[in-house]
Amino acid sequence: MNRTVLIIGIIIVAAIVFVLFAGLGNDPQHIDSPLIGKPAPPFALKSVNTGETIDLASLRGKPVIVNFWATWCVPCYEEHPTLVANARQLPNVQFIGVVFNDTEDKINRFLAERGSAYPTLLDANGKTAIAYGVGGVPETYFINSAGTIVAKFEGPLSTEQLQENLAKALR
Amino acid sequence: MIAIFFLLALLQIKVPDAASIVGQPQGAPLSGPQLEQKTMAISAELRCPVCQGLAIGDSPSIMAANMKAQVRELLARGYTEEQILSYFEKSYGQFVLLKPKFQGVNALVWILPVVVLAIGFVLVVSKAKKLEVAPVAAAPEEPADDPYLARVRERVEKQ
Repeated sequence: MNRTVLIIGIIIVAAIVFVLFAGLGNDPQHIDSPLIGKPAPPFALKSVNTGETIDLASLRGKPVIVNFWATWCVPCYEEHPTLVANARQLPNVQFIGVVFNDTEDKINRFLAERGSAYPTLLDANGKTAIAYGVGGVPETYFINSAGTIVAKFEGPLSTEQLQENLAKALR
Repeated sequence: MIAIFFLLALLQIKVPDAASIVGQPQGAPLSGPQLEQKTMAISAELRCPVCQGLAIGDSPSIMAANMKAQVRELLARGYTEEQILSYFEKSYGQFVLLKPKFQGVNALVWILPVVVLAIGFVLVVSKAKKLEVAPVAAAPEEPADDPYLARVRERVEKQ
């Protein structure tokens, strides 16, 4: 009897330790997106660069990189030059910046100081960010030419990470 | 002219709508204190994606405030609690639900404590039964001819 109790106890403790260990190894900020493989939620937002409205549906036919960011996000400052440089080198890929909970003044100042190579859209109340399941900024979604989300990247992108994820959109 | 331009721009703006994600509202539109009460109740069930285990109702983050505003708006439009939870789950996955659903691996969260309790109960009951049945060990009888005891008795009696 004691032997049986000991074995059951060891199994239970081992299971708990395994679950805790596996959980502690995870990034608490990481969210697996249920949108991968699904159509990108449609949006049409105003560009702070030109004032015109850009509709995601109108970009169907080429890969789109949607980068959610904000001027109050420190890692976004680090990421911005990478996005601008890649946007200039990849004319067949449409880059879009979506800024939420920010003001046009601050965005325009940011872009004037740090350069701009693609439309930056204002998601005033964060509804587009919510529909994409954005947890924090920066966060980037890679959409293929058929309009399907193929990858999501959390945090500031490096050129290698951008190209690695873009490759999935080009397949 | 500028006002007309901005109005036109606003009219063209389109954000992903709940109707395309969870269909048309299936409840009655709420307003006033009822709307606030229900907003708080649903906000307590949704996890803030930028916090550590906080509900959006308890989080001061911008993201949580946006999500809470979205909950309020959907309730005012007549969306039910189930539809609203489903709306957020479609974007964030089950991560966003503070009360995990009874399905897949998540079912273990509900089943495991009950199973462990049941095993513990069975073990305690079976152990208790064995203790009841086991005879109480009789005290060992003193050997009548123990020379040591005889000497002790003799001395005690002398005193």
